[in-house]
Amino acid sequence: MVSLEFKRDRLQLRWGDQKYEWEIEPRYWRNPAIGVLLLAILPLFVYSYPNILTMFTTANLYAAIAIPLGLQMIGTARVNFGPQLYLGLGGYTSALLNLHLGWSPLATLGATILACGFLALLLSPTTFIAKGLYFSLITLILPLTFLDVTFIYGDIFRGEVGLTGMSALFNLGKVRWNYLGYFYVSLLLMLLYLWVSDKIGRSRFGVTLAAINENEDVARMMGVDINRYKIFYFVFPSILTGIVGWFIVHTFRTFAGVTYLPLDFMIKILIIVIVGGRAYVYGAIPGAYLISAVEDSLRALGPINYVVFPLVLIGLVLILPRGEGLWGLYHKRHHRDYFPLFHVRR
Amino acid sequence: MLEVKGATKRFGGLLAVSGVSFSVKEGEVVGLIGPNGAGKTTLLNLICGIYKPDSGNIHFLDNEITGLASNRICRFGISRTYQIPQPFEAMTALAGVAVGVLHGKKRSHMSLADAALEASYYLEFVGLFAKRDTLARHLTLYELRMLELARALATTPRLLLLDEVMAGLNPGESSKALEMIWSAQEQFGITILWIEHIMKIIMNAAERIVVLQYGQKIAEGSPKEIAGNAKVIEAYLGGRHA
Repeated sequence: MVSLEFKRDRLQLRWGDQKYEWEIEPRYWRNPAIGVLLLAILPLFVYSYPNILTMFTTANLYAAIAIPLGLQMIGTARVNFGPQLYLGLGGYTSALLNLHLGWSPLATLGATILACGFLALLLSPTTFIAKGLYFSLITLILPLTFLDVTFIYGDIFRGEVGLTGMSALFNLGKVRWNYLGYFYVSLLLMLLYLWVSDKIGRSRFGVTLAAINENEDVARMMGVDINRYKIFYFVFPSILTGIVGWFIVHTFRTFAGVTYLPLDFMIKILIIVIVGGRAYVYGAIPGAYLISAVEDSLRALGPINYVVFPLVLIGLVLILPRGEGLWGLYHKRHHRDYFPLFHVRR
Repeated sequence: MLEVKGATKRFGGLLAVSGVSFSVKEGEVVGLIGPNGAGKTTLLNLICGIYKPDSGNIHFLDNEITGLASNRICRFGISRTYQIPQPFEAMTALAGVAVGVLHGKKRSHMSLADAALEASYYLEFVGLFAKRDTLARHLTLYELRMLELARALATTPRLLLLDEVMAGLNPGESSKALEMIWSAQEQFGITILWIEHIMKIIMNAAERIVVLQYGQKIAEGSPKEIAGNAKVIEAYLGGRHA
């Protein structure tokens, strides 16, 4: 019934007709382990500079938006231009429930998941009705409409100034400790998303997603239930994005639609996906760190940074190898392998 | 096994397939021929659910499959290859076939490693095992056609629809491909509905041939009967030769 087997490079657990495997060979987990360790010790060097620590926290959150977006782009074979809709929805849901009804962060998390899941489910038929540009246009318009709504119903959403005074996720006593705590929680959130996306990519679902991304009609002819896959990979990343909104509300304790809903925020996320390496979720992390560092250092230039920032972004996109981005520099030998290569020996 | 009754498909004013009826028995190899634009591929698309017929119905193994989504038709046991190969370009040959293994029938508990192992069997069968880690976009036309065959076989079909597998192959390659199709039929016990333009091959291969012209069935019978049929000669060569 249950058997645990130790193979050459993996530990295998069989449970009835289910099989679970864990790779134990160092070459599979050495580089990820080094990466995570680097990210984990990073804040200790900048402990005394809260603004840099905040920048890193923001980078983690950017990555936490970009990773599900990458998953969604592969799974639905469409480019979603408006994941920030769910960021806004999640943020406003938790902020309003917390402010007016006094719900605890845990309760607002549940509400956020429900709200984002419901809206994404409602909009999910667009993934198989609308194709290419039309899908992108639909998703582009929705967050902008939501932004307008936050202005029109200003007494509820406080469109211009945003909502403030939500209860914090935790309080460690000192302000600096709180910054450190927020960094680590955001890092955990981002790594959790990365882990989930990685697991999906390396499983049977990863191969199926790649097939859907390549050619929907052929994949359907091979027995893949495209619509079910598309609905899931539209709704699930949307919920993940919504949770980032919830996190922002309960850590920064202020939430304004003007910050997160406009187009320039979305462009930043898309640039992260492109700079980091399109269609490969890992690239989002170096991409997010690079972009938020560039953004933060340019802020010192004053108003001119609104001109310089796009120029730097265009430069980055031009210089980096096409479609591979920063991750491509590391993974130079592999083509767009957004699902892992797997091998069979004779 | 397969029964097509009065299948009709219209694209705007063009009647692509009009009232075509025929049947395929288990274990048969049936050829589907006709001049260019006769509606052969449209008929194939109707059978495998890419288009919905405007009227008429299609039964497969006593199940009505008219207008079902192609993934459900695939689960009933119909698989196809494409006239112009449509590989998953950025995926390796092995991964492409593994998709068929995972989804051709209900296999909710199959792991990727097991699927890869089974996929490698089909790749070995069509002679592409050495190319298993090559991206599909780097394969030659012959290898692409064989990959399509492997992908179609991986879904464990009972009826295989072949859409001009020989087009563009040189004589050596097409005789290899023909052998492959025979051994596939022998090993997996599949029934074949085969569209082909190369008369020499289809006349030898098929047990029965259905001829289409302007979307209508003009003849059906053994290759010998078809070769002597006046209507067919007229369709292919013009009235003077009939």
